[in-house]
Amino acid sequence: MNQAPLESIEAFLYREASYLDQPDLESWIQLFTDDGTYWMPAMQDQPDPLNHISHFYDDRVLMEIRKRNFIHPRAASQEASVRCSHLIANIRQAGTTKDGELIVHSNFHVVMWYREEQRVYAGTYQHHLQTSDSGFLIKHKKVQLINPEAAQKSIIIYL
Amino acid sequence: MNTTFDQAALEQLVQPTRINKQVYINPEIFELEMDRIWGQAWIFIGHESQVRKTGDYFTTNINHKVPVVMVRDKNGKVQVLHNRCAHKGAKIVTSRSGNAPGAFRCPYHGWTFSHDGNLLKIPNESGYENTGFDLNDSCNNLQPVAQDNYKGFIFATLSSQAPDLKTWLGGTTDCFDNLCDRAPEGEVEVAGGVLRYEHDCNWKFILENLNDTMHPMVVHQSVVQSAQAYISSLDTDDIKQKAEAQIILPFGASFENFEESGITGFRYGHHYDGGKTSIHADYSVMPEYHQAMIDRYGAQRTQEIYAFNTHNTLLYPSLTIKCAVQNIRVIRPVAVDKFIVETWSFRLKGAPDEMLQRTLLYSRLINSSASMVGPDDLEVYRRMQEGLASNASQWVEMHRQYGRDQQLKDRVRGGGTSDLDVRTQYQAWRYYMLGEDYA
Ligand code: FES
Ligand SMILES: [Fe+2]
Repeated sequence: MNQAPLESIEAFLYREASYLDQPDLESWIQLFTDDGTYWMPAMQDQPDPLNHISHFYDDRVLMEIRKRNFIHPRAASQEASVRCSHLIANIRQAGTTKDGELIVHSNFHVVMWYREEQRVYAGTYQHHLQTSDSGFLIKHKKVQLINPEAAQKSIIIYL
Repeated sequence: MNTTFDQAALEQLVQPTRINKQVYINPEIFELEMDRIWGQAWIFIGHESQVRKTGDYFTTNINHKVPVVMVRDKNGKVQVLHNRCAHKGAKIVTSRSGNAPGAFRCPYHGWTFSHDGNLLKIPNESGYENTGFDLNDSCNNLQPVAQDNYKGFIFATLSSQAPDLKTWLGGTTDCFDNLCDRAPEGEVEVAGGVLRYEHDCNWKFILENLNDTMHPMVVHQSVVQSAQAYISSLDTDDIKQKAEAQIILPFGASFENFEESGITGFRYGHHYDGGKTSIHADYSVMPEYHQAMIDRYGAQRTQEIYAFNTHNTLLYPSLTIKCAVQNIRVIRPVAVDKFIVETWSFRLKGAPDEMLQRTLLYSRLINSSASMVGPDDLEVYRRMQEGLASNASQWVEMHRQYGRDQQLKDRVRGGGTSDLDVRTQYQAWRYYMLGEDYA
């Protein structure tokens, strides 16, 4: 089967997490393929991102707009800085997609500091990773919160 | 500090062109509002398509406290019941939605109730013999909440004196009609789930922002400019990317554009902006959908349906509707500085799936807690909540175009950038809170 050394996958996921921790959205977006997508469903076992509402379902267009909005001086919600600490564990490979991307599952805890408040998010990530000579690219990332149905506070950064 | 608000004190809080800050920050006022506004108005519960089969139920609160359950009974009628066992008060169901096969069964001592609330059976019933307990006394049923619906939109009220629903809705029935008319089959159904968004501020801020058309070009300037900057970075043949980014742009509509669309107010705090035109007027129509509409209604009627183009409708205090987008928001207060907003989307029956997908895209881009629009709105509400703690002034003002509102028979018309929407809401506030009737 199509497998990659676990250390290389770990190193890649940690790099991604560090871009989000900083946050450095410019570099983060570069980790995605041009047609890459980022999805945070609004329910458990949500079958697809289009026929059911999601918290996020961003393609490159929205990532590019978000990146600009994130540093826009007139975005009132961005005046308070946001700081995150991503912790990723339980990384395991779960086969490949039909297009041959590696499917990687992991667990995450994110502690977020925003607007005088510390919050915790937890759940699982599913990454579809395209492999090339120069390393990995994310074709799809799914963020499955343990509480996707809960009333959420403003989430102004990718998890 | 004065901690009790008698009638005279309450009257002072809401004046023609200004509102006392206590209305937003005082916990006692909040409790009074829950009792008098949320306890007397018709509150939106849900849509009948959320409970299709016998025993299907949907739970919510009717205000910050009272839990209710909407359920389809065996006769096909939708009931709204207090979600409280008649025995010792346990909630009968706690899931947001589900199906209770056959009957409701309380998980504590096993009393069972039919879906219309009637007590069916008590385990080991003999213990009640000759105790004065009457199995057939209706007080031992799940208690009904007065409810009615307009085109499948179910409202309930804790008051026994509320005007009938249709009277209460007044001219806003046009909006429900238009939402349904936009379906080639003339009906809508809830689809695609719900987004729930916690707001750390007073519940009235979102309603007063709904048709505050002086805010989008300021609050949403950043996302509009970010979208524009991205669009101009694209090559001319990146058509798909451009189209997608453009959904953001109406939020940067000019003051003139909003002024033109006008605001129409009704009794009981309801109002909408737009009607003839709105920032959604230029939404492109999908060809397949358009054809289905023409087949059903003919070309002229189809144009009329599209042309009724309201932006936001408010059914004070619990529901907002976007006809042209086919989504709604449902408001539920929690505390003086906290409420939950739910965004629900509708499928237009007989329309292609892409229409629902577009509605969901809109909800995701605009109403999600992770969008680039909703969080900027919430940010300014929170700043008001925090800023109003200041004693620099006791007042929030609402003078815009005061004295220019045009009173018609059953409605008030005013400029799209006026504070008519807020005046309309505070007239209702005085109606519910002070018992002040409409002229
Ligand atoms: S509380 Fe419901 S059966 Fe006793
Ligand atoms: Fe807004």
